[in-house]
Amino acid sequence: MLGFIWKYRTLYLLSIPGILYFLVFKYVPLLGSVIAFQNYNLFAGFSGSPWVGFEHFERMFQHYDFLRILKNTLVLGALDISLAFTAPIILALLLNEVRLVLYKKIVQTIVYAPHFLSWVIVSGIFAGMLSPTSGIVNAIVGWFGIDPIYFLGENGYIRSILVGSGLWRDVGWGTIIYLAALTGINPELYEASEIDGAGRWKQTLKITLPSLLPVITVLFLLKIGDFMDYGFERVFVFQNPLNVTNSEILDTYIYKAGLKQMQYSYATAIGLFKSVVGLFLLVIANSLSRKATGESLY
Amino acid sequence: MKKLFILATVLAISVSMLSACSKNNNEPSKAANTPANAPANTEAANKPEETAAAVPTKFSISMRTLNVPYVEQNPDINSDKYVLELEKMTNTDLDIRLIPHNEYQDKMIQMFATNDIPDVVQGSGGISGQELAGAVQNGVFMPLNDLLQEHGQNLLKFLPKAAWDRLTDAKTGNIYGIPEVLSNPSRRATWIRTDLLEKAGKQIPKTVEETLDVLRAFKELGVEHPYMGRKNFKYSDTFFGSYDVFGYLNQFKQFPDGNVKPSFFDEAGMKKAIGVYKTMFDEGLISKEFATIESADFKSIITSGKAGMWSMNANELPIWGTQLMTNVPGAKVALIPSPIGDDGKGGYAHYNPVTRSYFINVNAKDKAADIIKFFDWMVSEQAQNFFSYGIVGEDYKNDGGTITYTPPTDEAGTNKQRYLNYWLWMVQDTTYNKRIAELSEPGKQMVDAFDNLLTKEGRRGIEFDPRLDALIKYPDLSPLSDQLPPLVLEHVLKMVYGKEPIDNYGKVLEEYLSKGGNEVIEEATARFNSKENAFE
Repeated sequence: MLGFIWKYRTLYLLSIPGILYFLVFKYVPLLGSVIAFQNYNLFAGFSGSPWVGFEHFERMFQHYDFLRILKNTLVLGALDISLAFTAPIILALLLNEVRLVLYKKIVQTIVYAPHFLSWVIVSGIFAGMLSPTSGIVNAIVGWFGIDPIYFLGENGYIRSILVGSGLWRDVGWGTIIYLAALTGINPELYEASEIDGAGRWKQTLKITLPSLLPVITVLFLLKIGDFMDYGFERVFVFQNPLNVTNSEILDTYIYKAGLKQMQYSYATAIGLFKSVVGLFLLVIANSLSRKATGESLY
Repeated sequence: MKKLFILATVLAISVSMLSACSKNNNEPSKAANTPANAPANTEAANKPEETAAAVPTKFSISMRTLNVPYVEQNPDINSDKYVLELEKMTNTDLDIRLIPHNEYQDKMIQMFATNDIPDVVQGSGGISGQELAGAVQNGVFMPLNDLLQEHGQNLLKFLPKAAWDRLTDAKTGNIYGIPEVLSNPSRRATWIRTDLLEKAGKQIPKTVEETLDVLRAFKELGVEHPYMGRKNFKYSDTFFGSYDVFGYLNQFKQFPDGNVKPSFFDEAGMKKAIGVYKTMFDEGLISKEFATIESADFKSIITSGKAGMWSMNANELPIWGTQLMTNVPGAKVALIPSPIGDDGKGGYAHYNPVTRSYFINVNAKDKAADIIKFFDWMVSEQAQNFFSYGIVGEDYKNDGGTITYTPPTDEAGTNKQRYLNYWLWMVQDTTYNKRIAELSEPGKQMVDAFDNLLTKEGRRGIEFDPRLDALIKYPDLSPLSDQLPPLVLEHVLKMVYGKEPIDNYGKVLEEYLSKGGNEVIEEATARFNSKENAFE
């Protein structure tokens, strides 16, 4: 065993910083989750705070709005997976078909530039575009004789706005991995299929997509693990009391109830619940995927 | 050979990364130790009183930047010439640690959690403020009663009892902090464009109805925002004040049934207030999208002359007034009495009488006496001149009592002024700076408004500090310092936007009660009756 380590000492040495990173920044903080079972007091610390068992979890499940918040979280998560996950794949396939290299590069740059904007700015842009008095969207809607709509002040529109803004910001960024995988496909496959008489559409279905499948599966599994992590900031910046019924998710509730009111234990309990659900989904999806496609994370 | 080279490189990288990590980790703990262990302090503390004067008292103090540009743009506040001058005058050596304004609460909690607590901690109110995270109750700060008796007589005389009460633990009588006070808690005012008023041929409105008439006239003149609205009714709560239904954290009231409830439980008053906003919304007197107007938009709309009437802190008059007049030649603005409701009164929610407060770390016991002396100096004549005008001979002239000072007009100058008047001056009556205000026309107007107008208006109620446990337990039911509780706010906004009938308000109150409101009222009433940290 020692000899084995000695033999690959360079690799082991190389991995030390990485291992340390995960230990210090990912695993040690996990231990902090114990405060979900305590009444955490900042000054008494982990050892001095009293243990309360599952009290905070009970409180969470009994909250009158818990079901609504959970539903919002799940709905947004589902929309995110069905739209924000598939859109980059389609976009990557489309970009792949573009023949003019310069044009392709320009489009690529334009679509992934928004990724570098912070959510605060994105929300500002969207609020401006959707404004009932000065927004371009309402101006266009107005051509058809429809009265201006206060999009951000309507419960009915907020989910579309949240998903839409996410799509606009991140769809280009999401294509990067797929585009990289696309370049790895053996061109001989295309040549052979051409001889057999396959057109572009057939090639896409029979060669490109199957070749991408492993990448898609892995990314999908990773995404499933984050199913409940829609993200705090991107929702918070769009939220106001008029749309909160449909936009309150676990992340924003944690911020309001936990951090603003300094109930760290309660916030941790909700966060822990979220993580456990995410882990659960990941394990299920992973085993399903292993049975169905042979692809899995572990 | 090549392999050896690779190995050496890898090793070097790993080691350098490790050492970089450990350096970072050590830094805060070193910083935490220095103030307590620095030789200068122990020396100063051990030496007898007379000689201690020679060695400056060295202490660290955390201060919120409060969005003051002079502070936030300063590369090193501790070597700023005014800080150095302050140190010279008080024989101290300050180590000011800035806390970013917008992350104040987070950073403060981080400070307590990592136990990296400076000798003096600046809070923003009483002993149970959220930013203190319960530090007072956990024995992080020392009681100051004896020290104040001995070294802080001027402070005790200058600062009112109401302010000291906020920093006193009612059960033990211990005073834990030194307050900076706001002698006039009625701080916000109703502003109106008097040039538009003249143009419309209207008088200054007194009642709610007259105000609506004026707003309608503004609209006819083509004013885009006759009444300036803002998200969550922040700084646009004028008409809730007319009917005394703010319901904020310090707006609990004893109702005729003997129970203590937030003032939005006045169903009739609340319906009238919501009705006024609905009328404004329907008639276009308030922006259709006021529910998403943020503070930056709010300010730019007003100072670019697109609003007719709004609510803002009165002490901003010299600054906002000047900006407005620069952008819109001919614009005139005045502070007027707020519209009155059925009881003949109006105005905005009163502020807490304590704006900032200073707590002394128990570990800084040795120098606590000198720190008290430092704060005691803040209310002296010398301090008043320094913090109002600046450094003698440089910023102003003093010929045997006659002071010559020209107030700055450029941005850099006003920034410096604000910094000296309101930031670096740690303990004072912060309502307005009288010496400076008397030098300019808008300044005099502001003083006049504070002394003759605002003292007579405003709404105040019962406040609980520390907060009611029930409100912490039910965040949706808890009002903020200037905002309705989320649960109520949501319904009120929907009523204004016409998505829910105003007559439903009674049901909203029932919902509030059923979702934990009964507990809130029970606790509030009990605490009010037993006078347990309840302030009126």
